Amino acid sequence: MAKTYDYLFKLLLIGDSGVGKTCVLFRFSEDAYNTTFISTIGIDFKIRTIELDGKKIKLQIWDTAGQERFRTITTAYYRGAMGIMLVYDITNEKSFENIKNWIRNIEENASADVEKMLLGNKCELEEKRQVSKERGEQLAVEYGIKFIETSAKASIRVEDAFYTLARDIKAKMEKKLEASNPPKGGHQLRSSEPPRRPTNWLSRCTLL
Amino acid sequence: MSETSESDEVRELFVQDGVLLFSAAASFINFVKSVGTLMITEYSDGTKFIEWKPIDVTVDSDIQDQEWAVVNTVEKRIRTLSGTVPPEHKNRSKYLRISFEDIKSFRISDKSRRLTLNDGKSEPICTYLFQHGNCDHLVGCLKTLVKTVASRRDKHLFIIPDIKDPEHEKIDRSFAELNVCTDSAYAWKLWNNFQERPVVATFEAFAKITDLVYRGPEHREIDADDVKEILNRSITEYESTTTTHSQGDYEVIDVPDLPKRRDFPRGKPLNLEQWLGVQDNEGRIEDSECIKLMIFQGGIVPSLREEVWKYLLDYYPWNCTKIERQKLVSQKNDEYFSMKLQWKTMTKTQEDNFTDYKERKTQIEKDVSRTDRTIDFYAGDNNPNLQILNDILMTYVMYNFDLGYVQGMSDLLSPILHLMQSEVDAFWCFVGFMNKLSSNFDADQVGMKEQLSNLHTILAFIDPDLAAYFDSHDSGNMFFCFRWLLVWFKRELSEEDCMSFWEVLWTGFPCDNFHLLICCAILTEEKRKLMDNNFGFTEILKHINELCGQLNVEKILNDAQGIFYQIKESEQLTDVVRLLLGLPILSNNSFDNHETSPFEESIDASNGSSSSPPKCSVDNVRISPDEVTFEKSLSSNFL
Repeated sequence: MAKTYDYLFKLLLIGDSGVGKTCVLFRFSEDAYNTTFISTIGIDFKIRTIELDGKKIKLQIWDTAGQERFRTITTAYYRGAMGIMLVYDITNEKSFENIKNWIRNIEENASADVEKMLLGNKCELEEKRQVSKERGEQLAVEYGIKFIETSAKASIRVEDAFYTLARDIKAKMEKKLEASNPPKGGHQLRSSEPPRRPTNWLSRCTLL
Repeated sequence: MSETSESDEVRELFVQDGVLLFSAAASFINFVKSVGTLMITEYSDGTKFIEWKPIDVTVDSDIQDQEWAVVNTVEKRIRTLSGTVPPEHKNRSKYLRISFEDIKSFRISDKSRRLTLNDGKSEPICTYLFQHGNCDHLVGCLKTLVKTVASRRDKHLFIIPDIKDPEHEKIDRSFAELNVCTDSAYAWKLWNNFQERPVVATFEAFAKITDLVYRGPEHREIDADDVKEILNRSITEYESTTTTHSQGDYEVIDVPDLPKRRDFPRGKPLNLEQWLGVQDNEGRIEDSECIKLMIFQGGIVPSLREEVWKYLLDYYPWNCTKIERQKLVSQKNDEYFSMKLQWKTMTKTQEDNFTDYKERKTQIEKDVSRTDRTIDFYAGDNNPNLQILNDILMTYVMYNFDLGYVQGMSDLLSPILHLMQSEVDAFWCFVGFMNKLSSNFDADQVGMKEQLSNLHTILAFIDPDLAAYFDSHDSGNMFFCFRWLLVWFKRELSEEDCMSFWEVLWTGFPCDNFHLLICCAILTEEKRKLMDNNFGFTEILKHINELCGQLNVEKILNDAQGIFYQIKESEQLTDVVRLLLGLPILSNNSFDNHETSPFEESIDASNGSSSSPPKCSVDNVRISPDEVTFEKSLSSNFL
């Protein structure tokens, strides 16, 4: 089967229940919004292939159940994730406060070099806002990660968010490869490499 | 067995060449170890035979177990015929001819290369070795001509029930029961086993006898034939295993062969007439097991659900009278509203100082607004039914604060409320449902993990290939079935299907953890797609998630029931699986005291003849020891 992409990135959406993870994903993968969404039970994922610098990048984005009780199951899926979107709801203070718990959760269960990003969703609900944009920005700075306010419903900056995360993963990956593989003028990454079992996310993205 | 018989019209229904007569009665001793042709024939009077005739190629007995290339000069021939035989075949005097009536059972061994016919007495009639391929075609043909049933104890043994004379069989069996351990033939066999075979075969036979002795007289009836077979086959078994080893062959350890999966078409749903019929004048239902059984087999007509669900979900006790029910409803009504008042009167300050409560409340609000909004009953903004959904869940938090609210509960409540259309009734039914499923919502998810692990155990028993496939594709934890189990397929089924599905599961028939067999039914159905496409961890999950909306409830119930019987009738059934399904542990002495539901008897009896629900009578629901009931019903299928 011919590969239709150069890289495959596994991304993860996490955050409190009801912050809009599934809606953000649906907006990005289908460019649609549905008012009759249902809560996510267990785990699911969606695929979208984007293009960056002439490379086709297949994004496999995992959506998880938000309620804390299901974390023991959902964290099993953290393995192999290269990028994580931490989502909170700007109209829900608690969901913002919980971001630090989610960060801790990542530290415990995901690879150390996973690329992270903070998302303040539902930014179309300005009148219900409980978390200012500045606080979001500040928290992101604290963790040394990027921050974007989005609206899945109004389709605001959802694309930006995923493209930014994907670009950062790609940059990090290429930098690592260069470091470990001094350039000889040729390409280090070939999608036609024979498949082998990936041992970490770095090798995974070169193959899949 | 007859040596000669003239008949004008002989139809050869099946012919296979290159079959060696391995053992036979003394009168055929000259032909033993000869190669010949095996046929299934039908004579003009309708009698059918298995006939074997020798050809001129003979094989030295010393090389019988070598590669059969030696005699491969014999033309390979397997055919199924329906024409009459040319005249030159009429001289059948040399034929070893066995009437179907004399064959009580046959046993297939040595990877289908060896077929032994038994007359139900101490000695086998004869044994054939198939040099070309195996006996599968012949057995396949045989099975179309006579009813066969796989032995419960020996997966290679097929019993031909005596359909002509059930009375005779009963007497025969009673005789066997009385004489089983005193018959000198058995004692002699046993002694032979001791002398000739050091350990394995004899111990096996002994084990069966011990089993027989320990399990009381009522079980002997069912085991007599099997024990005879065990004693009988110990000779041939021994020979075949030793020869295999002398050839340096490795005996491949087979994955357990389950009995063939049977079909269990769904029955008719419980209707009003039947429902009223089981109630006495005061409205009591004494025979609740029978009702549950009918529901298990065919569900409930939709108009009757609202009432019957209250029983299935333990809101109404089965044996309460109409008057008692009215009293109960009034009491439960008061109880509900007093609990509702508890949270309704909570002030903002109280809530703010009660984090656990507030968290639950917030979660309920979030989930109610996204529960089944595509169903008219819950659709649209400011739908009052959403408020009721919310209030019931909130009241449940007060009713069971330790469990509280967990995602998935709103899914479980939604169809119940839709059906009941009454806040109080829906609440108490929901309580009953949660009592059955509360472990799904454990804080540490232990209940879910245990179920996923149990699912793997059962799957590994019925389909080791598939279980191994999941193991080797990072999916041995079965997490991809999480959604199925958490909300009992609510997300995979339409509301109507979900209702028919749940009510079947609520009956508790035919065994514990039946929902895990449902999972197995679906997974084995999808096996080819998963494995042929070499799906990995992600694709497996995606494929399973995408079955949403694709499942056929009747089919999965039918298949799961078939799987239940495959497991139950499997002779390799392990104690672990028995425990998971709530089946009695055979090695345990408490077995004799085990009492089972009427399920076995009625299900089997009805399955054999028709799919209609069984009549409700005292006979049908007699409590009887599990295995006996099972065997009886099995044989009654063929009477």
